[in-house]
Amino acid sequence: MRGLGRLVLAAVLLFLIGPFIIICLAGLSAGETLAFPPQGLSLRWVARVFEVQSFRSAFWLSIWLGFGATLGALLLGIPAAYALERYDVPGRQVVRNIVSAPIVVPGLIVGLALLRHLVIPAGIPVTLALFIGHTALLVPYAVRIVSASLQNLRVDMEEAAVLLGASRAGAFFRVVLPNIRNGIVAAFIIGFVTSFNQVPVSLFLSGPGVSTLPIDMMFYMEFNYDPSIAALSGLLALMSFAIVLVAERLLGLSRYV
Amino acid sequence: MFERRGIGLALMLPATVFIAFGFILPVLILLAGSVQVGGAWSLGHFVEFFSSPLNRDVFWRTFRLGLLVTGVSAVLGYAVALAIVDSSPSAKGRLVGLIVLPLMISPVARTYAWVVILGRTGFLNVALTGIGLTDEPIRILFTETAVFIGLIQLFFPLMVLPLVSALENLPADVVPAARVLGASWFTIFRKIILPLTREGLVVGGTLVFVGSLTAYVTPAILGGSRVLMLETLLYQRVAVANDYASASVIAVILIVMSIATSVLLKRLATARGER
Amino acid sequence: MKTTLLSAASFLTLASLASPALAQTPTLTISVYGIAQDAYSEALYRPFEAQCGCTLVVETGNSSERLAKLEANAGAPVIDVAALADFNALEAAQAGLLQPIDTSKLSNYEAIYDFAKDPVGGAMAVGYTFYSTSIVYRSDLVSIESWKDLFQEGLAGRVALPNITTTQGPLAIYMIDKAEGGTTPDLAAGIAAIGEHRDDIVTFYERGSQVPQLLQQEEIAAAVVGRFGWANIAKLDLPVEWAEPVEGQTGGMNVLSIVKGTQNEELAHRFIDYWLSQEVQTKLAMGLVDSPVNAAVEVPEEIAEGLTYGAETAESIEFIAPQTMLDNRDAWVAAWNETVAR
Repeated sequence: MRGLGRLVLAAVLLFLIGPFIIICLAGLSAGETLAFPPQGLSLRWVARVFEVQSFRSAFWLSIWLGFGATLGALLLGIPAAYALERYDVPGRQVVRNIVSAPIVVPGLIVGLALLRHLVIPAGIPVTLALFIGHTALLVPYAVRIVSASLQNLRVDMEEAAVLLGASRAGAFFRVVLPNIRNGIVAAFIIGFVTSFNQVPVSLFLSGPGVSTLPIDMMFYMEFNYDPSIAALSGLLALMSFAIVLVAERLLGLSRYV
Repeated sequence: MFERRGIGLALMLPATVFIAFGFILPVLILLAGSVQVGGAWSLGHFVEFFSSPLNRDVFWRTFRLGLLVTGVSAVLGYAVALAIVDSSPSAKGRLVGLIVLPLMISPVARTYAWVVILGRTGFLNVALTGIGLTDEPIRILFTETAVFIGLIQLFFPLMVLPLVSALENLPADVVPAARVLGASWFTIFRKIILPLTREGLVVGGTLVFVGSLTAYVTPAILGGSRVLMLETLLYQRVAVANDYASASVIAVILIVMSIATSVLLKRLATARGER
Repeated sequence: MKTTLLSAASFLTLASLASPALAQTPTLTISVYGIAQDAYSEALYRPFEAQCGCTLVVETGNSSERLAKLEANAGAPVIDVAALADFNALEAAQAGLLQPIDTSKLSNYEAIYDFAKDPVGGAMAVGYTFYSTSIVYRSDLVSIESWKDLFQEGLAGRVALPNITTTQGPLAIYMIDKAEGGTTPDLAAGIAAIGEHRDDIVTFYERGSQVPQLLQQEEIAAAVVGRFGWANIAKLDLPVEWAEPVEGQTGGMNVLSIVKGTQNEELAHRFIDYWLSQEVQTKLAMGLVDSPVNAAVEVPEEIAEGLTYGAETAESIEFIAPQTMLDNRDAWVAAWNETVAR
């Protein structure tokens, strides 16, 4: 039985990871079209990725959006999570349901709803709508992860700080925040990656000249069958790999996923 | 619990207001469109939606693929999770890391890899014809099979992770005890492992099923217009036909199915657990 | 944590400082077909930007997709000039999304063929190109003499057809219907024939730009396409030919329109005029991108062969009148969904 389990594990890992190895190699092809095995090795398509103007602007929009939306979600989520865990406010369950609502709504519908009933009637720019959509999407994660960290932190510590003369706010910033730091960093990483990779929310909210990197990749794929998308995919996979590695080293990210 | 309710309320307010007005309100207006025809309440859009054979096909395909992906993920998930839990502590961390890794990579990149593999001139066909298993390349891209493969790869980690943590919480001596008493492996799984890890299975199953129902990128790239699923149909209805009635109906279906799945599975888990 | 917050904050500040700098030059936003954007950029966009000192922002997609966006944004238009299929322009005009073009501002208006001057009525659009629609195929694998040959055995599992939602979709059905002996405007014979062979069709493409890609991937060996896609297909390193089926070829016209409520009326007219100029039309024709509507354009014979060239050719194509298309399309889509798409 054990042998069989190992075999399945190996096969599944190959199935999960193998495609990335293939796409990385395909991106290193020297040939004109996408193929595996690659026709000779070269970095020409990797270089091409950096030359495509739309990739560059889309990359920066995605980075900007990832940072902005994650930051926004944390600024909204940390106080909410703290209040949910520490204060006996009537209607807590309602608030909990409201802030986790974005999880049950598929991204495409979020994008469409924001486009139809916020962007167009209120005349707000598409980038702001993207920011709102991504932030809303990340608030539930932020609240959930920070709540989990707070649950692991004993209330006595704060009480002690207050008894020793600290204000509530002082206790929060000096005692609570440093202790839930890991949770916040984990929420930041997960939030950033989620936003950076997000397609459905952004699909309807991309306008002329405004598109996030995954959307731009999908468009490019439609027009081209050259290895540059494979090269870009490979670069993104390596970037994610680096993030996971650093996060794992820093705080054991797998505990939070 | 602290007493100062005013402060608590003030802390919750920004997030609640933001989500309520920036998110829930627009979504509700969109959903309300599904039950209104010309200003009056009516289920006309639903009737019309399901009267189209194409829409019915897409609905059932989405449901079927969701079940299939969840079922296969669950079976493989137990095998993988058991093997992970069984390995040495240092290997365990690394294995979990490898399982988590794909989750962090762009779904577009993940799906695109399958185009390179499953295409007519792709890796799989080159390999299959190379070793003489087929003469003609097999048609996989733009079929349900391609979408199925893509979805499994996308969502499988979401099944394994909760199963691993459920198995880790299993009391250390129950399985060896059962084995000493002569229970077969199948009995051990059915009588001990399955009931005790039911919660993990429910969490994983919900994530995978709902994820498959609402996937966009995978059916769009690997399925195309021949293998429409609810999300790709929604995009098509809006993008090419400006048909917001159908779009809002699909939105309602997807949200109701997502909520119903998690509620139902949770019920099922607790009801069985109490017996 | 502090450093993360700080760097994120400084990043946001930098980003917000950087963006206004981009918006200083006047901007014209255009909505066009996604095909051959490199060629357009060279022959049209960049020279125009240099000339007007403005920035062009380009949105791409298929015609109905972009029409849907125009409708969605009707209250606050983001597009100034749209290139659409003629019947989509008529639809947009009827929905009140377009404003009439002041043809007196177009110095090249008199130079274009009469059929391109006011194709949808009310000066709501001017034609900028017309094209024939036929079948491209791998000549080393199959031969195509008739529209029926799309369903030959050697092509089972290797054909792509345009989806009904695209401009080319109804055109493909129209010709298949004709080949199948259909006589009614509901195109029942054509739709039935496609339905019968639907499992042999690899995919129904949504945008013409997908076809060269599918050919290159070798997923398909034949597809129904508009001539404007030919340049990108011909330059593939594959033996591909343009079929001349016995039943003839159909085709269509693409037009330019100004979106109602544009803030850039002057610039929009200038852009349209420039697109119709002999200079631009010649360059696009030489690149095998678009067949010229400007009668003054002359191209060498080998180029003319690659295009749908000249007034005589235009006469020979069986165009479907925009109004006919609009009148019947819903019924075609319903029949298609019933028998083909499912």
